[in-house]
Formats: sequence, C-alpha cells, structure tokens
Amino acid sequence: MTRELLDLMGIDNNRLALEWVSSAEGGRFAEVVTSFTQKIKDLGKNPLGVAA
Amino acid sequence: MNIEDAAQTTQAYYCLDCGVCTGSCPVSRVMPSFSPRIIVEKALLGLGDELLRDRDLWSCLTCSRCFERCPSSIDFPEFMRLLRAEAMKLGTQPAYSHHGMLQTIMELQTQGITQKKTDWAREAGKVAEKGDTFFFVGCMPYFQVIFRYLGVDSISVSKNIIKILNGAGIEPVVSDDEHCCGHDMLWNGQVETFEKLASHNLEVIRASGAKRVVFNCPEGFYTFKRHYTEHFGDLGFEIIHFYDLVAQMLEEGSIRVENGVGPITYHDPCRLGRMAKIYDGPREILTKLAGDNFVEMERNRENALCCGTSGWANCSTVSKQIQVERLKEAEATGAKTLITACQKCQIHLTCALSNLEMDLELKDLTSLLAEAITDS
Repeated sequence: MTRELLDLMGIDNNRLALEWVSSAEGGRFAEVVTSFTQKIKDLGKNPLGVAA
Repeated sequence: MNIEDAAQTTQAYYCLDCGVCTGSCPVSRVMPSFSPRIIVEKALLGLGDELLRDRDLWSCLTCSRCFERCPSSIDFPEFMRLLRAEAMKLGTQPAYSHHGMLQTIMELQTQGITQKKTDWAREAGKVAEKGDTFFFVGCMPYFQVIFRYLGVDSISVSKNIIKILNGAGIEPVVSDDEHCCGHDMLWNGQVETFEKLASHNLEVIRASGAKRVVFNCPEGFYTFKRHYTEHFGDLGFEIIHFYDLVAQMLEEGSIRVENGVGPITYHDPCRLGRMAKIYDGPREILTKLAGDNFVEMERNRENALCCGTSGWANCSTVSKQIQVERLKEAEATGAKTLITACQKCQIHLTCALSNLEMDLELKDLTSLLAEAITDS
C-alpha cells in the first residue's frame, strides 16, 4: 500500500524497502543496509529535496 | 485568534446556557463527559488553558447539529475549529486515525512533489488540460489505495462523474497538480498548511482557464465555498456541486435516467447538508431514480446524524456507536440500500457495517446514478 501511495505522490517507490532481519543476523543486516544505501545514492536526490 | 476573539467571531458570548447543544450532540449522547455547553462556558469563564490542553477538543465531530438548533446561533463548529488552531500552538494534538497517514500525505503535498494521480481519468473518458469546467477530484485516488481493504471503491465514483459529464458533452479538466483541498488540515487546527494547499489549488485552477469547478466531495465544496473565500476573497470562478449540476441536467434533458431502484434511503453528509445547505439536489435525483421507493430515515436533512468521525482524528468507540445507531436507523426504514453522498461517510459506515450482521448495502449516489443513466 505504501508503494502505491508513493507512486501517486510521484515519489519513486524503489526508495522504500522493507526487510526482516533477525537480531542474530548481524552480517545480513550490514548487507541489507549497505546495499539499500548504495541504491539510494544511485537514485540521487528525491523530489522533496533535503528534508526539513 | 485567541479565545476571546473566537468567542466574538462565533457569537459564543450570546450563550444562554440552555444546553440545547449538548442535548443535540451525538457525541454527548454516548460520552456524557463531552459537552459543548461546558466547553463554551469554560471559554467564557476564562478557563481557556484547561480547555486548550484537552484532547477532547477533537472529539467534536463538527457536524453542526448544535449550530442548527442553537437559539443564539452560536457557530460552535467554527468555535471548535478556532480553538483547535490555538491548542495546536500549545502542542495539544488529536489522536490521528490511520497512524496519521492521511495527514502525512497532505503535508507532503505542500513540499513540492509532482503527483501522478490522474491515470484513472483518462481510462474513464475524455478529459482536458484546459477548459471551462474543472473537476476537483480531491482525495479519491488516495482513498482508493488506503481503503481498498474495506471494499470501498472510491475512484469508481470519480470515474462515473467523468462518464456522466462526457455523456452531457462536457470534457472536464483534471489535474495532477491539484492538491488536497485542505479541509482536514483546517479542522485539525493546522491553518498554515491549509493556506499553502489552498493557494496552490487556486493557482492551478486559475491557470486552467476554468470558469466553473465541479465538486463531488462535500468537504471540498464547502471548504471552497466558505473557507477559501474567507481566506482569499473572490475566487474568480464559479463553484457547483455535482448533484446540483445533475439536477439541472436532468431538468434540461441532457441526461436521462431510468426509474426502478429501491427500496433506498439517504444519509445527508454534514458538509453537504447542514453546512452547504444542499438537501434538495440529491433528493431530486433519488426521487427520479426510485420514486416512492425512496424513504427517509427518522433523522434527515438538518437533523441527520453524523457518520461518526471527521478530519481523520479521534475515531473511537464513540464513533462506532454513532455509526451503528445510524445503520440501525437505515435498516428500520425497510430500505435495502443506504445511499451516501460523501466518500468519507461511505468509508466510516462501511467500516461499522463490516462488524454487523445486517441486511443492508451501502452505495454512493453517483454510482447509483451512473447505473440508471440511459443512452436515449
């Protein structure tokens, strides 16, 4: 639903990620956050600019 | 505006302490601790601070039934609205419904996003970028996503309007740049956000060259009619509610309908009825569609019961009790279908109905009308 709402607002829904990571999976947590951070960097600034 | 000025503007100083407001209030009936009379009294006794820290300021439905019956004509809903704006400044906030999602969407719209929310319109029929008639769609594309789980199909209402207008030879303007009308922000107490949304909408509509704006949403219509003019003066275009336009089109013969629905009854939305005083347009349509099969509920027109919650705030067990009461009243008429004229009423009453075993269907007036239109 959030993805659809983002679409309506003209915000790229690739900017949203939802992942479940157990507290025992430190390595996976790092991986998820690093790859998502990279993805956002590649996408560049969002249309809202810098958040107030 | 401080409390004193608010009391002045809304005539609260003329309070006779008669209690007709509390006696008429649907909230007070189920939650006796809430009393419009005591709120006015507290304000007049200088207990403003206590008042402005009370979250029950948002329990008022602003349904205007008290204003309708007040012998001193105190505009209590408007008084609440002004107090809320003050309370917000002190940090008192309502309990936002749906995790504040709708308020977030409204806030984001003031931040310069470019929406993509009109694809459905091109699917439904012919729309234009510039023209004489602007169709103010409002929140329907968002409701469609958010309330799909209830089975409410909000966008079909907007689609039907485009079809009906097209059928009458009108190609309305719909715009991705249209923002929320600001109604909920205004009634939540966030006047600044309202003004941002409103001034943007005025720019968009003026740039489209429209001479008139058609509304289906009663809140949008009433907000433009009253609060846009109060804040921005003359709008520079005409505003008309879709049902009044349809009533005209039926009279002119530019659309024709079949009689044969029923038995049905009709729920007056507070913004459309008590506030915008549009009682007859919808009834003319209903009578054309159903004839004698259209029956009134016990409380109708200026006495209609509210759908139980407003401004996406303070939805509670009180709301639910009011909604159930209203649905039972509809059932008692013997009607099988309860017709609504506001998507919010539809959403709220559908939510309550989903927990009841009741042989009653809820339907939007526009959708009912669209099914009854004949080509010839």
